[in-house]
Amino acid sequence: MNKIITSFHTLLLLIIFFSLIFSIFSMPKLKVSKNESIKINFYEMSELSKPSRKIVSNKKVTSIKKNKDSKDSKDSKDSKDSYTNSNNLSDLLNNSFLKKDIKNEISKIRLTKERKNIIKFSSIIQNKISSIWIKPNSLSETLSAKVLIRLAPSGEILDFELEEPSSNKSFNESILTAMSKIFFFEEIAGADRKVFETNFRNFKLVFKSSGEIR
Amino acid sequence: MKRFFLILILIISNNIFSILEIEIIKGSDNLSKIAFVPFAVNEGLELSQGENLAKLIESNMLLFGEFENLDKAEMLAFPSLEEDFFYRDWKIQGVDFSVIGKINSVNILGNLNISYTLFNINRRIKVLEGEIIGSENNIDGIAKIISNRIYEKITGLKGIFDTKLAYVINSDSDTYQMCISDIDGKNERILFTSKSPIMSPDWSPDRKKIAYVSFENGIAEIFIQDLKTGERDSIQALGMTNSAPVWSPNGKSLALVVSFSGNPDIFLYSIASKSLSRLTNHYAIDTEPSWSPDSKKIIFTSDRSGSPQLYEINTSSKRQKRLTRDGTYNARGRYFPDGKSIFFVHGNNGNFQIATKKLSSRFIQTLTSTSLDESPTISPNGNVIIYATKKGSKGYLGGITLNGKSRFSLPVKNGSVREPAWSPLVNK
Repeated sequence: MNKIITSFHTLLLLIIFFSLIFSIFSMPKLKVSKNESIKINFYEMSELSKPSRKIVSNKKVTSIKKNKDSKDSKDSKDSKDSYTNSNNLSDLLNNSFLKKDIKNEISKIRLTKERKNIIKFSSIIQNKISSIWIKPNSLSETLSAKVLIRLAPSGEILDFELEEPSSNKSFNESILTAMSKIFFFEEIAGADRKVFETNFRNFKLVFKSSGEIR
Repeated sequence: MKRFFLILILIISNNIFSILEIEIIKGSDNLSKIAFVPFAVNEGLELSQGENLAKLIESNMLLFGEFENLDKAEMLAFPSLEEDFFYRDWKIQGVDFSVIGKINSVNILGNLNISYTLFNINRRIKVLEGEIIGSENNIDGIAKIISNRIYEKITGLKGIFDTKLAYVINSDSDTYQMCISDIDGKNERILFTSKSPIMSPDWSPDRKKIAYVSFENGIAEIFIQDLKTGERDSIQALGMTNSAPVWSPNGKSLALVVSFSGNPDIFLYSIASKSLSRLTNHYAIDTEPSWSPDSKKIIFTSDRSGSPQLYEINTSSKRQKRLTRDGTYNARGRYFPDGKSIFFVHGNNGNFQIATKKLSSRFIQTLTSTSLDESPTISPNGNVIIYATKKGSKGYLGGITLNGKSRFSLPVKNGSVREPAWSPLVNK
């Protein structure tokens, strides 16, 4: 009994371990523009990673139709029953595949729309912040600082926090000054509720300086 | 069992906290707007004194085009004390910072006690508060000290308003003047006038002396001039010609170019022992040396590859390294104060522009857009480069901030201005 429990624990541990590894490495960066990127959250990634069976199912539908045509041309009486059977089977298969196709298509459209919305609103935020952030002069080092922002569905900034400051005081100050200039991301008010809740209720701005002289 | 829960919590938290991250790399091209409110004055002082002090601070801060100001006519209030200061009055004017202050007379000797405060309007916080006591006759110097403190608070960089510039003026075809002035062009002083060319001025690290090359005796000769006494000492008869002197960061030696039998090489000259030691020995021309901030390396120009390129040499091991490869002309190299980058004159298709390069990168960046730029010199805080350039046949000094946001030219002099050299900071 003890052995069974131990092996069960080991199995569970392995599953958890691989799940952890998968979840850590499943955070791809989606390029928005040449130098700027947005991280897509895990929720969206797991939805996107579901395989689409559209192509496979189409092939199967086509092959079943071909079978049906060939059997029609031969017009064999003996094969009538089998034809009826296969016809029923193909209809059944057809229906089940089509349903899955439609479901997948709907899910895909919904996700594409969601993705587009995330990119759209992220770009708006990016441009707004870039237009008010006055970078300190002469930053010769590579710097990065993260600001955690909490938004209301109206787009109002409820609060922000310099969660991970950089090592450069002026760089941090410039970020806080920029963040103090902005109170609203009005456009967010137009976001779909689910997109807002899963992506923009809490999000982070990662301010970066490449350390280039200019 | 505890382990499983811990791992489960980790997985769940990882998924919960996978939060959208938006990268911000590009900043705004706008400049910070500062309101310099006329300083209030105590009884017995002229109102114009307060106005004058605020104007002096304003003109210092605007000198390199790094900020914009709010006109006095547009100000809604003229507070001088913190309790009279309302952020909304400045926020609606788009102001980022406000400077207010007050002048109090201390004694009949004309000493003034000046208090000043800097506010960050967007963050609604007081970021700087200070007091300074100084003579009424030195209001310009007081303004520079206050400007430096404000500049440092806003940018995080050392203020450079009390630095100086050395340069050569060629007022007519055969008159050359070795001059120094405040960085804003005020208090110009002629150190030496000659009918023969003067070149390559360089400040000693303590700002008390200047080394330069003069052709007054028919050959290139290096002189060291004491700024207080005006005395000039020649570094005598080292070779056929001596040129391009540059002080070491500790002020104890000069890197210079000496030509024995017509082949210029880089040497070190000890000021105390008056002895010379060779650094490079190449049949090509090695010239224009300059020290790294840590004194360990010297950058120089050499045509050993067939065209002028920049090299650096380790002063102890004498190991040499080529620094530039792009283009057929890269000369007059200097290190940034942090020692991580260099700036130099980059020639391309007959255009000579000021360029920079990180030592860790192979790419160069051109800073200027004029075409005959030479002799770049950098501010001690590493933020501004001043260089000599030409409009027609007349030379003038141009400047650029390293972020490229601001370009400016220094006040026009009576004659062509060349060979600028920025002084170190006072307290260095």
